[in-house]
Amino acid sequence: MSFNETDVQSALKNLIDPNTKKDFVSGKSVKNVKVSGADVTLEILLGYPAKSVWDEIRAMVEAHLKGALQGVGKVSVTVSSKVVPHAVQRGVKLVEGVKNIIAVASGKGGVGKSTTAVNLALALAAEGARVGVLDADIYGPSQPTMLGISGQPKSVDGKSLEPMTNHGLQAMSIGFMIDGDDTPMVWRGPMVTQALDQLLHQTRWDNLDYLVVDLPPGTGDIQLTLAQKVPVTGAVIVTTPQDIALMDARKGLKMFEKVGIKIVGIVENMSTHICSKCGHEEHIFGAGGGEKMCADYNVEFLGGLPLDIRIREQADSGNPTVVADPDGTIAKVYKQIARRIAVKVADMAQDHSAAFPKIVVQNT
Amino acid sequence: MLEIVFSDDVSYQLPYEYLRVYSPSADVSGHGPGQEVLQVGKKNVGITSLIPVGSYAVQINFDDGHDTGLYTWGYLYKLGKNQAALWQDYLDRLAAAGASREPRP
Ligand SMILES: Nc1ncnc2c1ncn2[C@@H]1O[C@H](COP(=O)(O)OP(=O)(O)O)[C@@H](O)[C@H]1O
Ligand SMILES: [Mg+2]
Ligand SMILES: [Zn+2]
Repeated sequence: MSFNETDVQSALKNLIDPNTKKDFVSGKSVKNVKVSGADVTLEILLGYPAKSVWDEIRAMVEAHLKGALQGVGKVSVTVSSKVVPHAVQRGVKLVEGVKNIIAVASGKGGVGKSTTAVNLALALAAEGARVGVLDADIYGPSQPTMLGISGQPKSVDGKSLEPMTNHGLQAMSIGFMIDGDDTPMVWRGPMVTQALDQLLHQTRWDNLDYLVVDLPPGTGDIQLTLAQKVPVTGAVIVTTPQDIALMDARKGLKMFEKVGIKIVGIVENMSTHICSKCGHEEHIFGAGGGEKMCADYNVEFLGGLPLDIRIREQADSGNPTVVADPDGTIAKVYKQIARRIAVKVADMAQDHSAAFPKIVVQNT
Repeated sequence: MLEIVFSDDVSYQLPYEYLRVYSPSADVSGHGPGQEVLQVGKKNVGITSLIPVGSYAVQINFDDGHDTGLYTWGYLYKLGKNQAALWQDYLDRLAAAGASREPRP
């Protein structure tokens, strides 16, 4: 019995990557297949960060090949991840040092946008990605607190800014630029966009796979301008299940679509309440609101987070849940959502929802 | 029949009936998986107009009055790619419900 590289490829056509739900060959993950005698070596290159499952995938591919190729000898598979840049809205310049920008937005404040953004950033980093956070929320910059970073960023050349770092993330915040004791600043539109433009482009981001941007809540002029200026790979919308929040989230969705930004999906925060005494879980704001909105607009429901006092305490003390309790059930939800986002972004180069297709009506 | 050609030259031919019974509208798709409303008797349905919605979707207006379906490019792509399976699934559901594609007399 003998087999060649093509047989190895065909065998892998029948093996589905559990994350992308595509087989490894059409997922373009199979590289450097070599057959020598009865032995096979190959690489699996994933387009999304997935350090925690590399071993699992390696074992799965090896076992599959041993079953599929008769008389096979040694099978050695190496698995790794490589995140590449994907398209952003047309006509917007990319940011140096940043491959993909994930904008986290909400129709109104207080829905947990910043908490979600920081936990997703940490979840992506936990999977081995290089991740930054840009806190663009002029109304309430909270990333310095949530990341436990204080002080002011340094400039080596008097022009650019070095990102601040903690928990393995690079971070920049409008909050670093304004004095905490000052009365809240009144921002005028052009000032805001200019300040944020500077933070985005003048920070020396160091080879980021993802920059997570915590946008100001709402759908006003400032948000619209930002959506037109920031090169966004995909937007994630955070909402709570209440009707009013959902209504605002719909406006957010429309705003992004208007400027040609792709929606990665929707995260429903505070979906359920988990009683801290008995652990009972309940849909206090009604069930299924986020899912319904996703169905109506044909966007992906990325997942739901419970209303849980620990999420607040951990984020507000500078140790968000994903780092405070990395193996807990809540961290798992954030990690799962982050995985979905990364898989979706990885798929975007071949995404068909961005480009206007040609439609012909044929009357027969 | 609607022919749709995507930017990477993948093209699909989607019959009106297929598009109609898989309308993404909440009236048809329901509010979540498992809540779909089975569409019957649409064999001869036609299209009256197509209205582009932003740069992301098209609203298809059918001659039976159904006009609440927003078909995003991604959704159309999915309909094209999975056409055989989805169509069979629809036929199975029709059969299970004892319903027919033929319009009611
Ligand atoms: N799932 C949650 N459970 C409990 N508290 C939460 C949750 N998500 C956010 N919070 C808390 O709610 C408050 C508002 O969240 P934040 O992320 O700052 O909202 P936003 O950025 O949308 O204004 C914060 O004190 C945060 O710790
Ligand atoms: Mg915030
Ligand atoms: Zn209780």
